[in-house]
This record gives sequence, structure tokens and C-alpha cells, in this order.
Amino acid sequence: MTVSDTTKRPQFFAQDNVYMPHIVVIEKIIEETPGVSTFHFNFKDKKLAKEFRFESGQFGQYSVFGLGEATFCISSSPTRPDHLEFAVQKVGRVTNALHRLGVGAEIGFRGPYGNSFPLDTLKGKNLVFVGGGIGLAPLRSLIWNVIDNRDKYNKVDIVYGARTPADLCFRYDLEAWDKDKTINMVTTVDKGDDAWKGKVGLVPKILEEVSPSAKDAVAIVCGPPIMIRFTFPALEKLGFKPAQMLTTLEKRMKCGIGKCGRCNIGDVYVCRDGPVFSYKQIKDFVSSEY
Amino acid sequence: MAKKARKQDVAQLLKKWSQQFTVLAPSRASGVAAMTEWDGKDTSFLEWYRNTVVPPKASFLPQTEEMFRFRKDEEGYQIEPPSKNGQKQLLFGIRPCDARAMAILDMTFKDAYQDPYYLEKRKNAVLVGLGCTNPCQSCFCTSMGTSPTDPTDVDIMLIDIGDHFLIEEVTDKGKELIAKTGGLKEATKNDEAEAEKSRETAYNKVSRKLDTAGIKDKLLDSFDDEEFWSQTAAKCISCGICTLLCPTCYCFDINDEVVKGEGTRFRSWDSCGFPLYTKMPMENPRSEKWRRVRQKVCHKYEFYPMAFDVIACTGCGRCIRLCPVNWDITQVIESVPDRVKGAK
Repeated sequence: MTVSDTTKRPQFFAQDNVYMPHIVVIEKIIEETPGVSTFHFNFKDKKLAKEFRFESGQFGQYSVFGLGEATFCISSSPTRPDHLEFAVQKVGRVTNALHRLGVGAEIGFRGPYGNSFPLDTLKGKNLVFVGGGIGLAPLRSLIWNVIDNRDKYNKVDIVYGARTPADLCFRYDLEAWDKDKTINMVTTVDKGDDAWKGKVGLVPKILEEVSPSAKDAVAIVCGPPIMIRFTFPALEKLGFKPAQMLTTLEKRMKCGIGKCGRCNIGDVYVCRDGPVFSYKQIKDFVSSEY
Repeated sequence: MAKKARKQDVAQLLKKWSQQFTVLAPSRASGVAAMTEWDGKDTSFLEWYRNTVVPPKASFLPQTEEMFRFRKDEEGYQIEPPSKNGQKQLLFGIRPCDARAMAILDMTFKDAYQDPYYLEKRKNAVLVGLGCTNPCQSCFCTSMGTSPTDPTDVDIMLIDIGDHFLIEEVTDKGKELIAKTGGLKEATKNDEAEAEKSRETAYNKVSRKLDTAGIKDKLLDSFDDEEFWSQTAAKCISCGICTLLCPTCYCFDINDEVVKGEGTRFRSWDSCGFPLYTKMPMENPRSEKWRRVRQKVCHKYEFYPMAFDVIACTGCGRCIRLCPVNWDITQVIESVPDRVKGAK
């Protein structure tokens, strides 16, 4: 792989400087689970709010001023541009600070960065979405994108799981997709409770039960690394070739633009050349440290 | 035709250049040798200077650098670009290995997205090289495509010819500056011959050699050899000095600081030698030391060549000189198994 051509990607630099954040305002906060919230936000600059573009799969660098930046994908769909969304799990300094913010708070945003899901390749295909926990965030950007252009795509299967029913994120989406007759929605939990009526079992296992056909299909996988590593072999069993499996990788990032070094795997910078990769590309990585 | 200047006139030359530039020259004022703002008189470095401990990259990618300021007022957050910019630096005495390293760093900071802080300083700077006469035992520049007197990556090159320096104008920027400086004598044929002797002597003094033929592929083939990497990493104490003070290492961290309501976002050198460098909330792909040492070696000798067709090492020897446990990159590179040959 050579250095990715980033010039065709949407670019919106603040003050002509790729490291300067735009000021964005939090418009709504949805508590997904006790540790995960979705933030709806918009640019303070109304002109930019209108002009801003991104593609499903791309990410941003979000600042809580005084505490620093953290990396999250844009979890909303570019087909619904009246605001943007990202989902955050409370795990560290910046994410905890985000969870302490209220509606109206200002944060910083740089982006969009990274590549995106290859919509041209997905056109006309059967799509199999496999998600786990908060890993549904980048997938839901693409899922809503597909729903809003439903005639461009063929069959859609979604297999989504979380540890317990309380850990299921984006329940309003899950309900909407469950009601959508053009989508086969399967939700599972590792461990159910008395009220749980859905499937119980790990995502890769349930995926094998659902058994989507690999013919003219592309699987798009995102979740915790352990789930991703077990989902690829499950898909291979179903006949999917490595080139038919896409995922978005998570790495520690600071700059988001292929400079600061930490998301480096071989000659790839996950921030610059990804985060969307096919399993075929990942298998060609110099390192298995993905 | 080259120019020349008496060694005792270097101070005068630097004074002249100080009118137009912030002149940086080797100094030990901070405790270790580094390119430091020239004090207007001291040229004693011409006697003691072999190379700086702190690489000249620090003048372009400072150890800590302000990226912007922020503060909150009644209208919300205000963001201001850094106060210092447009600064023109002249680095006097940069060694060819370090100048080569700057050319290598340019590739990263120019690629895909432009890094405004680094490139602005680079664009405004003049590099005045000073050929080595006394390379260190740890130096191996002649194995890495450069030499103690290589003028390729500087604007002006000075070669020691006894009581004078021969002055080569290398780039247009260098030519312009020399023309503007004026008052420099033309070098004679004899001076040129002296310079050639000086180059040859310095070249021959670099005794350490490293054979890098096929190293990219050898490393690729040895990538999963955990035993080799564990042995290679055994004595490393993960102090990070070989990366922090490497002239081609560019990794950085980004952090915020707020003092009395005034916020600063800054970046600072970071190292792939540190376990926290890649740590994520749920996992860390390089928590083990051998993986970090592998990353360091392979990034320089395998990944950088894959991306830019050049090894990101110039043989400056700092990582050898400065390592507290005598870890030696040349020994490591030479010990990478050649599996193709071995199979025969």
C-alpha cells in the first residue's frame, strides 16, 4: 500500500489548519446504556453546518477543551444531515468528561477523517451487518444510509449483540429496523434476563444460525476486537471470501491524519488509510496487531 | 565557484546573518549539546562540536510545541492560532546526517495532510551544514547513503580546510544568502583540492559499516519470529531515548493544559517504546516490550521504505551513543536472519 490519496475526501479545516478544531454545540444526549451515550451536535458556524459533508465510516477528533481529544466515528448517516451524532463509552478522561456535559455545551470537532465504506462496491449487493455493543455506531451510519437509498441495495441482514439486554445500544434503531419489512433484524445477548425474549448466544454463533448466503453479499463487521476476530472465521464458514468482509478498526489515535504515529501497522496508518478495511487487506497487513 | 571564510571570521558571519534570521548554533548551555539561539559571540563549538545530543529536528518539531490557545468567554470558546509564527531560523553547523534526516521527516509532514507547524518553519529556514572532521565511533552515515561532508540536504555547506572553511552554495536559497552576505573571498583551486582531501579523510574515518542490502524483505520474513525479537529486546529498558533523540523519529502526543483560564493545546515528542503509546481502554496491541522494539526497528528499516522508498535512519549513531544499556541498532540489523539464504 502506498500513501492514500486523501484529496478526494471532504476537507473542512478550521483556520486553514488541520489541527484546529471547529466549535460544535451539543444539541441532544441519549443515554444508550449506563456507560454509553449518543451525542447529537451541530457546528456553531451556521454556514459550515450547511456545507459540512462526510461519508459513512469516517471519524472525527472531539475535544473537551482542557482535557484533550478523543476519536469517535460519526454515527449518524450523511443522508440525514440536519445534525451529526457520535456515541461514547465512558472509559477514560475525555470520555468521562463528555459524559458530564449537558445540552448546549461546546466541544471541539476536527474532521471528517479516514476513508469510508465503499458505497459503489456495495451497490446491488446483499448486505450482512454484524455488530457488537457500541460497535454498532459506525454500522448504523451505513445502515441508515442504505435504508435511505433502499432501492440501490439488495437483501439486508443485521445481526447485533451485546453482553446483556441492558448493554444493547441504539434500541430505537433496533426497533425501527425490526419493524422494517425489507430488513432481517436479529438481536442477541450473551446472557439474557427474565424479560428477554430474543436470542441468547455470542454474535459469531448466532450469525452462523442466521446463515446468510455469501452469494453477491458483503459482510460489514464492527464490534469489540474479540468479536471481530471470531466473526471472520464464522463468515468464512458461510462461504464469504476475505474480500467480501469489511470492518472498521479501532486504534489509539491522536492526530487523525497519519502523523503522530500510534495507529501505525506496517506501512498503514489506520487513521489515514482506514479505518475501513476488508479482511483481505487486514490479512495482508505486515502485523497481526490490528 | 565556491567561496571561503576564515574560521576566526565565523562570528562576524553569524552576526550578519542574525540581522535576518534567528541564528541557531551548537551550544551546551542547556546541559547537553543542542542547536540553541546563538549568543552573538561564542564560536567555541568549532573546537568541541562533533554532533549535538538533541537532533536539529527540535527546531522544527520542538519537544513541546504550542498548537493553539483557547479560552472561554460569554460567547463560548475562542480559538487562537499560536502566537509565534513566521520565525526564520538559520541552523549553523547542522551535520549531513541530520540534514538528511530533515529531508526524511519532510516526507511524513508533507504527505496526505500538510502539517502547518513543521512546514512553516521548514519553509522559512536555512540549513548551513558543517562537514565532520571527527566522526564518532558510533557513526555509520557512509552506510546509509550519506557522508560526513554530503551537501545534498543543506542550503550551504562548509568544509574544513585548515584555517578556513570552504563554502559551497548548494541550493538557490543558499546562493541568494551568500550573494546577500557579500564580502566572502573566492575559493582557489588549491582550496578546492584541500576540501577534497578533507572530504576523503572524514569519509575514511567512519569506521562502522552496516550492510542494509535486502533488509526490508529480511525484516518482513522475520516479522513473526518472536524468539528473535524477544532476544533483540531483552536488555531494552523502554526508556525511549533512542526514539526521542532520533533525528528521523516524529511521533508525538497531543495534550491540553489550562492555567488561570488560558488554555493551550500542545504536542510533545512521544515514543513507540512506551507501553502507554498504543494503550486503548480495552486492549493494547503492543503491551509487550518485544513488540515495541520490533515496531521501532521495522518502522525505520521496513515500513518507511515501503511507504517512501527510503530507510528512516541516517547513521547518525545517537541511538547507539545514548542508549543506557548499549543496545546497538547496527548489531540488530546485522542479526536479522536471512531466511532465503538460510533455506538454500
